[in-house]
This record gives sequence, structure tokens and C-alpha cells, in this order.
Amino acid sequence: MNFKSKKLLYLLLLLPVLYIAQLLIIDIDVNKKRPILNIFKLMQDDSALEIVDFSVDKKTTNSNLPKPNKDRNPYYGDLHVHTKYSFDAYVFGITASPDDAYRYAKGDGILHPLGYEMKLREPLDFYSVTDHGFYMGMIQAFADTTTDISKKDFAKPFHDLNRKDNLTVESAGERSDLFSSIIGAVIAEPHPNWHPSMIKAWLTKNTQQALKSFDYDIHKSAWADIARSANEHNDPGKFTTFIGYEFTTSTDIEGGNLHRNVIFNSSEASIRPWTRIDSLNPEDLWTWQDALREKGIDTVSIPHNSNGSNGQMFEMESFLGRAIDQGYSDKRMRNEPLVEVTQVKGTSETHPLLSPDDDWADFEIMDVRVGSRPPTYSRPSGGYVREAYLNGLTLEFTQQGNPYKFGLIGSTDTHTGAGSFDEFNYWSKVGLLDGDAENRGSVPLAPENRERLEEYMAAFNQPQSTITLEQGDYANTGFTQWGASGLAVVWAEENTRDSIFKAFKRKETFATTGSRIAVRFFGGFNLSSIDLNSDNLVSESYEKGVTMGGDLISDGDKTPEFIVWAQKDKNGASLQRVQIIKGWMDTTSGRPSEKVYDIACSDDLDVDPVTHRCPDNGARVNITDCSISQNVGSSELKTLWRDPEFKSSDKSFYYVRVLENPTCRWSTWDAIKRGFKPREDLHDTIQERAWSSPIWYIPDPSDVVVVPLGGTVPIRNSN
Amino acid sequence: MKNKLFIFFIIGICIYLIDIGLNSNEDKNIYISDQEILSLVNAWKSQVGREPTDDEISRIINNLVQEEILYREALSLGLEQEDKIIKRRLAQKITFLKQESILKDFSQKEITDFYNANRDKYYVPGLYTFTHKFFSSSSNSKERAQNHLNNSNRLYENSDPFFLGKNFAETSSLEINSNFGSNFSLYFENSPINQWIGPYKSSFGHHNLFITEYTPGFHPNLDDIYDQVMVDLNQLKRDSAISDFIKEVGSDYSVIINPDLKI
Repeated sequence: MNFKSKKLLYLLLLLPVLYIAQLLIIDIDVNKKRPILNIFKLMQDDSALEIVDFSVDKKTTNSNLPKPNKDRNPYYGDLHVHTKYSFDAYVFGITASPDDAYRYAKGDGILHPLGYEMKLREPLDFYSVTDHGFYMGMIQAFADTTTDISKKDFAKPFHDLNRKDNLTVESAGERSDLFSSIIGAVIAEPHPNWHPSMIKAWLTKNTQQALKSFDYDIHKSAWADIARSANEHNDPGKFTTFIGYEFTTSTDIEGGNLHRNVIFNSSEASIRPWTRIDSLNPEDLWTWQDALREKGIDTVSIPHNSNGSNGQMFEMESFLGRAIDQGYSDKRMRNEPLVEVTQVKGTSETHPLLSPDDDWADFEIMDVRVGSRPPTYSRPSGGYVREAYLNGLTLEFTQQGNPYKFGLIGSTDTHTGAGSFDEFNYWSKVGLLDGDAENRGSVPLAPENRERLEEYMAAFNQPQSTITLEQGDYANTGFTQWGASGLAVVWAEENTRDSIFKAFKRKETFATTGSRIAVRFFGGFNLSSIDLNSDNLVSESYEKGVTMGGDLISDGDKTPEFIVWAQKDKNGASLQRVQIIKGWMDTTSGRPSEKVYDIACSDDLDVDPVTHRCPDNGARVNITDCSISQNVGSSELKTLWRDPEFKSSDKSFYYVRVLENPTCRWSTWDAIKRGFKPREDLHDTIQERAWSSPIWYIPDPSDVVVVPLGGTVPIRNSN
Repeated sequence: MKNKLFIFFIIGICIYLIDIGLNSNEDKNIYISDQEILSLVNAWKSQVGREPTDDEISRIINNLVQEEILYREALSLGLEQEDKIIKRRLAQKITFLKQESILKDFSQKEITDFYNANRDKYYVPGLYTFTHKFFSSSSNSKERAQNHLNNSNRLYENSDPFFLGKNFAETSSLEINSNFGSNFSLYFENSPINQWIGPYKSSFGHHNLFITEYTPGFHPNLDDIYDQVMVDLNQLKRDSAISDFIKEVGSDYSVIINPDLKI
């Protein structure tokens, strides 16, 4: 054997050894929780889990704090407010800071970018500024020509966007173009692979750092300013603030809106918000929230605008298209106890196509996907909370857990810093685009404005932007489907961060469309023993039953009883009726059903026992001046209700809907204030309303064995 | 002839000396401090994650030198004048300077003055402890409320439960208005203690009040709310730092605008 062939032999022998060694390494890595990959991961440091104490040195100002009320008080607030730090607010002329926003909530007037004052009739109890985490503070930095980042090419168009002389409706075209380009690829362009920022991005798990248009320092200081402002304005016992932001994610393919607000329960928070650049998948947001919770920072995330999600918000599968399992459901409920059911961009309770038998389902429906241009139809199924509650029961039936057992709140999603709650004093949402009646489509356009609107909407990828009706040409850009809504209300012992946050977590909340209706809701099996006219009604109900957001565990075959007590807004219209909406699922087939029961009628009228409807109370609105019938309707409604069609084996949920007498819609107010008739293709009037979080009835475990659906759910042993 | 040449020679020397005097060599020296280099190298390290090589260090310094040369040449050509970006940058710098210098320390007098000027903001409102009988507007509430008042033994009841309860402890006018409707707190002002008064109308019905305790409002001592005052003063100063400064120096400036300009 010569030297050469010997060498070849060694080589040949070496190959299988190398191959086996490689297999061994892979085997260890895959089966032993990836120790080798993890060596590299050890070098990483998660910047989103760095905790910063933003607290402000401040003693409580008032030693005479009101004592906590064990029967709990209703506190009204808004958990969805944008300021100049949001990319889409700044582009549309907003210069209000978080400080301005909190001053507004406490009752001060602040200025709309079009120059008029925005002021609340009555201060709010709590408020959270929730700017988009995505590009937080960046657009402002692009526009400020003194920053380094503004000198880059992509920032040029933003320069001095909100200088005083440019705060006009005429600039809307320029602004809409910019808005489209932000989402566009230009700004999201990453550095080349060799760039040091790429390595830094990987080492700190901060993908944003890899983007050319991103400046981490500016981003952090915007977030720090938001947190500082929240902590400075927090005033225990009187006014509560929360550090918060919006996680603005969407599905990749259909642009299905999966937006959520993240609310912190502390003066400490992460050094930066977790954003859609970190991940589009909401499950990763929950992982981050879980990790924060381990570090002692509790948060809740609150989905909104499910109506514009093209059916993606309450899907029957996960973001990645996997089957939902118990782990997914637990994780979602741990982090998302609430959903924002109503806001300026429509109401997501239910849709006429989903609830054809509900006469009140056609209420403030926005039927397009959020942010779509041209406006694109959003599939209702999967986007509305009542169906989600039913789907939750179905998922539970197939042993996948219930990821849709959430409570309800409302909020505004204003981008002006100031929530717009009143129909007769409405400024919509996005500043220069919809801050006046012509542009939001409630009065006809003057000819020159029509031309301008068509021009800029065409640039904004919406070729058809006006509609010709009886009184002339109207803007038809989607703002007519928006509305003056809504409020988040909690039942809490006192007006402090901790007390209100605990109410979020136990879902003892209700939503209103901006009206300060209040509603109590209890369920139990022995509530009829309570005297409805007793002064102890509330404390006894807490003792003998569960309240909104809770589980009512079955007690043999006993039929549940419910106490509902609603009070009107002292400055609003009187109450027309109180309803209970029941959803249930047949034990054997898993078939879902729903039904709307009127349970209390105004003016001492009685519910028809067959149709479960109240007779007409005769309340009317005079459309020429928006005056309403006097002395019709009730200031409060209170009743005990037993489910007349109860089956003890069916999984069920019950929630309350309180309806006011009809009043003018904002579009009608806009028109008559300016000498026009209301537009004929819109609703003239609305019924302001409130929805409670549900009470879930939990039957005894069923004998029916259901094999779980979906590949990832392990099939349990039948023994 | 020789004299003239000499005079020209002297003039030449003078011009030369003046030139030297005016353009001292120092102007063409670029001093780079150790600190400057070290901070650049550190920044490099934190970005790249390793020590720079000698080559890379000299490149860093070269860049710095080139920038300085270009900067000086630009200055000598007067390019900094009427440049919007530079104007903004300088304006922003002085803004920060002013805001920071203000944020540091306040004299005791300043704090006291601020507190005195804003005393009403810190006013702790008067608090009422009371119970009430509520008569819902659904059935002749006024008459029933009047009956209750007129009846000498108060055992006669026939009132309705109120949504927010019967007894209210240490409640301010603001809270009273928020619970019963705006201006409802007016019924409490200067009202007798420990006797039934009413009936008063709210948008829910009629109420008879029995006020058991009134704690008058007061202006708290500055010491008790010192931190809050500091937070507010800071906020005010931050907001007004620049406008105050402009007010202070602005009077030295006169603004000239073409009165015939058509816009």
C-alpha cells in the first residue's frame, strides 16, 4: 500500500465518523432542548425585558382619601388615546403631547389642530395614553430638521410637516401620501447584512435596530416621556393613569387588523415597547408579557377593532394556522382578559349577518378593514365578540380550551389626545383629515373642496371618494361609518391604579358608547331571596352571587337568576329597556345558539312573555332640531330575571345590554348645525347603549366524550 | 529713487507683519484631544463589538480630521449663514440649555411664590358626610319626598334605593355633582347639619338630605404637598422656559418686515 492510497483510506474512514458525529450533535441539539444553539443565544440580551423605573417622586397629595367602597364604585375612563408620538397622528397634524392628553382628561380644554377647543363636560376617572409602539416618536423626529435621522433621504418629505402655517385641511393630500409611504418599504428597509447595526440588533433581540430609518435613542426617549407623563399625572384617589402603548400588528396576507393596547400596572415598565417589528404574531407578545410578569411587571393587552380584522381577531386557529389548544387558550386569557368592543371606528358587538334576529345588531357598523386603501370589505365572521363567545364555547366543547372568555370595555382610539364622546360635540379621530363636517361627509362639499378631496384621495389610492345625494356632493371616504364612542368602565373599590387594574383582570367591567350609563349585573341561584328595594341589595348580591366577568358554577338542576340594575347618564337621554343576551351550546352536538331577551321596560311597561319584547314607549326624536320626547323613559331600571329556557347541561353565557331612548347621531347634529338636512343614506338617530361583561354558566362535566380536533391536541386516554 | 524703493520695502514688511499677525499659525492647527479619540473608539467598539485595529483607528482619526478641515473651510466661506438646519440646531441647543438650567434648583422663594399664586389648585375641598332618601321620578317623587319631610316621625319611609347607595362619607362637591348631576352640590352649601332638608330634584328623581358632618375646605401647608408642587413647578418651567427667555431678550430686537408684501 503506497502512501497515497493510505491517505485515501483514512479519508474514507473519516467520512462516516464525521457524519455520525454530526448526527450526534444534531440529535443532542434537537432532543436536549438545543444546548448548542443556546450557547449562541446566551450572547443575546433581550432589550425588551430591561425594566426601567419611570416613577416620579411624589407623595400622595391628599391625606383625606375617600375610603375604599366594598360595594365598589363605577369609574369611567379611556384606555385608547394617541398623541403626537404616533406616526399616523403626527402626520395628520397632531401636536398634542401626553401631558396635554392627561390635562384634557382631568377637565382642561386643549386645542384641535384645526384651532377649536376640545373640552369634556365632566372629567374622566382614568386615562391611558397608548401611542403606537411601532415607530413611536419617529415621525416627529423625521419632521424635526435638527435630528440626525431627519437628514436621511426618506425623511425629507416630512420636514417641518406640522409648522403652524401648514396646519390646514389643504395639506391633507401631502399628508395622506406620507401616511401611505410609512407603511411602504422605503422606511422599513434594513441595513445591509455586514452593517454593525445588524449584529447589534441580533445581540439585543431588537430588530428595529436593523432598520435604516430607526433611531433607538429617539424611540426610547419618546417612550420615556410617555411614561413620565403618566406617572406625573397619576393622582391616587382622584385620577388614575396607566403607562401604555398600542401593539399595531396585522396578518401578513390579508392585512387583517390584530391591534392591541398593552396597559401596565406599575410606574415601572420595559425600556421599550414590544412592537410589530419584533414580531407580527400576538402569541409572541403574550410570551413577552409572561416574561415581564415573572419580573414583577403585570400587563394586560386589549384587542380592538376586531370588526375591521377581516375575521382574523377571533379565529378558530392560531396566527400560524395551527389548531388552538389548551395552552394557547390559557396563555391568551392570562394576557387578554378584555376586548374593546366599541370605539370611534365602529362597534364590534355583533353584525346583522351574524345575528339576523337581533333588531339592534345594525349599530355603528364599520364594514371595511382597518387602514385598507381602497376601503376593502371586512368579513364579519371572526370579527365580532358575540360570535367569539359562542366560538369559545365550541372550542371548549372540542377540548381546546376557551380563548374567548373576555370582558368588555369601550374606548375612543382618538388621535388628537382628546377622546370624542358626545354626538353633539364630535371631532372624530385623525385631526386634519376628519376634523370638520365637510371632510367627514356629514354636509355637502363646497365645489373647491370637492376637487381638492378627489385629488388627494386619488393620491391616497381611493379613486371614488365622493357621492352625489339629494343635497349635493358629499365626501364618502369612510368617516361616515365612524362615531362618537366609547368609554371603559370598571367597578372598583377606589380610584387607584391597583384597584382599577384588578377590576380589569377579574373582568368586572362594562362598555358604553360614550354615555355615562351605569349597570350592575349579578347571577346566582338564590338571588330571588334578596329584596330588590333593600338598601343592602348590592352587598347581598355580592355575597350570594357572582358579578359580571365571573363564572356561575352549576348547582344541580337549579335555574340561574340574575339581578340587573341600570341607571341612566344624568346628562343623557332616559333608558328605554334592559336586555339580556344569552348564548349557549347544545351539549350533544356542539351547535351554538343565541337569543335576545328584553328583561325590563321603561315607563312601567311589561315585557311580552311570548316575544320577550318591550312595547314601544313612544320616545321620538325631532330631526329638525334634535329635541327628544320629554317624560318618556326611565331614569333607572331594576329587575330580577330567571332564564325561561334554561337547560342545565348547556354551556352558556349571559350579558346585559342597556338601551337609551333614541337621540341624534353626530352626522345629524353636524348637518342641522350648518343648516342642512341629515344625509339620507345614514342613520339619523342612534340608541346609546352599554354592554356588561358576561357571566358564564358552567354546567357539570358532560358524559359526552369529544375527540379533540386539530393535529396538535394530544388525544387523552379514555380510561 | 533709492528712498522710494526703501519706502516700498518698509511698507512690504509692514504688510507681511500684519498678515502674520492676523493669520496666526494657530488657526491652521487641528487639536484632537485624547478624550475625543477614546470616546470615538469606544463608540466603535460598542457598535462592532471588538477592538478596532490600528488601521481602523487611523481611519477613524482621518475621518475626524477631514470633517474638521471641511468644517473650517466652510466657516471661512461663511456657509453657516442662513442655513436652516444650522439655525434650528443652534436654536434647539439653546432651548435645551435653558430648559435644563431651569430644571435644576428653585429658590425657596420661587417655590413659595408659585404655591401662593396657585393656591386654589391645591385647595382641599370641603367634605360632606350625609345620608339621603331617594324618591324615583317614576312615581310622583316630589309629593312623596315632601310627605317624608313633613312627617314628624321619620319612621314613615316609602323611599326608593338609590343606585349609588344611601350613605356618602366625606364627599366633595365635585363628587356630589358627578353622582347626582351638575349643580346638585349647591343644595349642600350653607345647609343646616343634622336635620332633613329638601326635596331637591336631580335627573333621577327627588332627594331629601340629612347632612351629618361638614369638614370645611382648606389650603394645605406647602410642606404637606411639597412634592406635588415641585412636579407642577417643573412642568410649568419646562413649558415656559423658552417663551420666558424670548420675552427677556426679545425687547432688544426690532423686527423689520416689508409692509407691502403680498401673500
